[in-house]
Amino acid sequence: MTSRIINHPVLDKVDDTDIVTFTYNNAEIHGLRNESLAAALLANNIRTLRVHEESGTPRGIYCNIGHCFECRVTVNGLQGVRACLTPVQEGMTVSSGEKFLTPVKDWRSNNE
Amino acid sequence: MNRVIVIGAGPAGLSAAITIAESGYEVLILDEYMLAGGRLLGQLYEEENGKWWNGIKESKNLHDKAIALGIEIRLGTPVSNIEKTDGSWVIYTDEETYYTHHLLLATGAAEVPLPIPGWTLPGVMSVGAAQVMTNVHRVKPGNRGVIIGVNVLSSAIAMELKLADIDVACITLPKKNQVNKESGNPMDVMNSLLHVSHMAPSAFVKFGSKLMKNEFMKKMGITFFPKSGVKMWDIPIMLRKAVINIYGENTVEGVTIATINASGEVIEGTEENISADFVCIAGGLYPLAELAAVAGCPFYYIEELGGYVPLHNERMETVLDGLYVAGNITGVEGAKVAISQGVTAGLAIANNLSGGKQEVEIKEAIKRIEHTRDNAFIQFHPAVKEGKQKLQQYWEEYGQQAKVEVTI
Amino acid sequence: MDLSDNEMIICRCEEVTYGELKNTAETYNCSARELKLRTRAGMGYCGGRTCRSMVDSIAHSSTERDVTQVTLKYQPPIRPVSFGSLGEITK
Repeated sequence: MTSRIINHPVLDKVDDTDIVTFTYNNAEIHGLRNESLAAALLANNIRTLRVHEESGTPRGIYCNIGHCFECRVTVNGLQGVRACLTPVQEGMTVSSGEKFLTPVKDWRSNNE
Repeated sequence: MNRVIVIGAGPAGLSAAITIAESGYEVLILDEYMLAGGRLLGQLYEEENGKWWNGIKESKNLHDKAIALGIEIRLGTPVSNIEKTDGSWVIYTDEETYYTHHLLLATGAAEVPLPIPGWTLPGVMSVGAAQVMTNVHRVKPGNRGVIIGVNVLSSAIAMELKLADIDVACITLPKKNQVNKESGNPMDVMNSLLHVSHMAPSAFVKFGSKLMKNEFMKKMGITFFPKSGVKMWDIPIMLRKAVINIYGENTVEGVTIATINASGEVIEGTEENISADFVCIAGGLYPLAELAAVAGCPFYYIEELGGYVPLHNERMETVLDGLYVAGNITGVEGAKVAISQGVTAGLAIANNLSGGKQEVEIKEAIKRIEHTRDNAFIQFHPAVKEGKQKLQQYWEEYGQQAKVEVTI
Repeated sequence: MDLSDNEMIICRCEEVTYGELKNTAETYNCSARELKLRTRAGMGYCGGRTCRSMVDSIAHSSTERDVTQVTLKYQPPIRPVSFGSLGEITK
């Protein structure tokens, strides 16, 4: 289980009272308003945010600041949204990235 | 069009914008992140005077100052391209296109990965990711982590994880391969650590700095480096172990480590598993200069600065008219250097807008960068000053060439 | 999961392995750019921001680095742009 760090020996206490509800793969999730989607999901012990489009291997956050695009999810119907850069809002609909039905990489080994 | 545009709301971008606004010019800052502050946000360490450098507070101060000066900051706004058209810079974002005569790139740095078998598993993240999760979002990246890569950044962040009551099982090396040679070589790592020994209290310093006066002793130090590591902030730093694999079904469950010899080769039969629910990869930082590259800036590879940097002068001007750079895009250094570079870039822009009214201030600001660098608590590369000298030399050579071309 | 070094992924977006990159670099003794084009390493969603240093160092274990040139060229857009916003179609 991962959890929130409400009290910290040096940093200010976190205000964890402004709670919003959103859905992730149809499950209801609670997060703190304006925290990143990646943080809200991790606080709910959700690490896997998508699977690789071709191999289906699970992926989660890697760089957490928008560089690597590993955390891309679908938010309110829009694909390729980086969970690490997206503030959580009430009523958001989020779903994880899925495997493509048709592999497109096969040409490599076949056409060498 | 008279409005200056700054890309990047980190310490360099914010300081530059504040300086420009204080000189009476309008500024717009664009940044793709959801908060202003950039990498400064995550920083947290105790300085020599006993005071805490709190990145969140420092970021907020800069942000509030910028807002009070009427600077507009558009967060959540990634820039996908810049180009020069009809004498002005065009900045493309998802929503809007912006135009300016004076554009500052303060895009910071990105992390260098150290690939390890299994490093795509959820739960494996860059060490900076763990830092942001812990200090900015205040969510634990996990309960027990292993940090791969022994360097300034990873030891500083290990301490920050510890502060937040997160267990760090160990900081250790990656298995040596063609990609991470130095990071996987105990001798090279030991050498680079000696430059930061002032950061490590107690045992590590004593062990390190006393023993390591000469090459022979360094070699001895590595050879007899305790296999169980030397503890820093109660976290074992293991220079004679390397992670050979990260395992787990769908998320990280642990890492396999093995003993390595003094040159980094794995000693077979020494493998053991360490359980962990997250792993941090700490390969260091490199200047994130992609926008300077698409704009057409000349680049030079300078190892001391962390990689390829766009050619620029002391006033933070690139060779392209109206394009400036500041902060880690010019070489990887601490936030305080980035701030002083931002001020210098801001003055250079204001000076160009005002027709040369700030020459004196610019000279002072350039000196202040030097001073800040000399007094920096954390130095990412011990030879950063030499790196800067190389760049200055490249600038002068480039200027000579340009003159020759003009005369011909 | 227990992967050997050759199966280790270098480019996360395109899932290009260390073995694939090393073999290609050895077979063609090629530049970083050619290595990228032959394997697709660095040509995925993130635009090579994560793996460029690694692709670069694999290439430079067999060829000399030119310090005055960025070996892996950057090309716009440096962030993914949807076809909708390219065509300036409002949502």
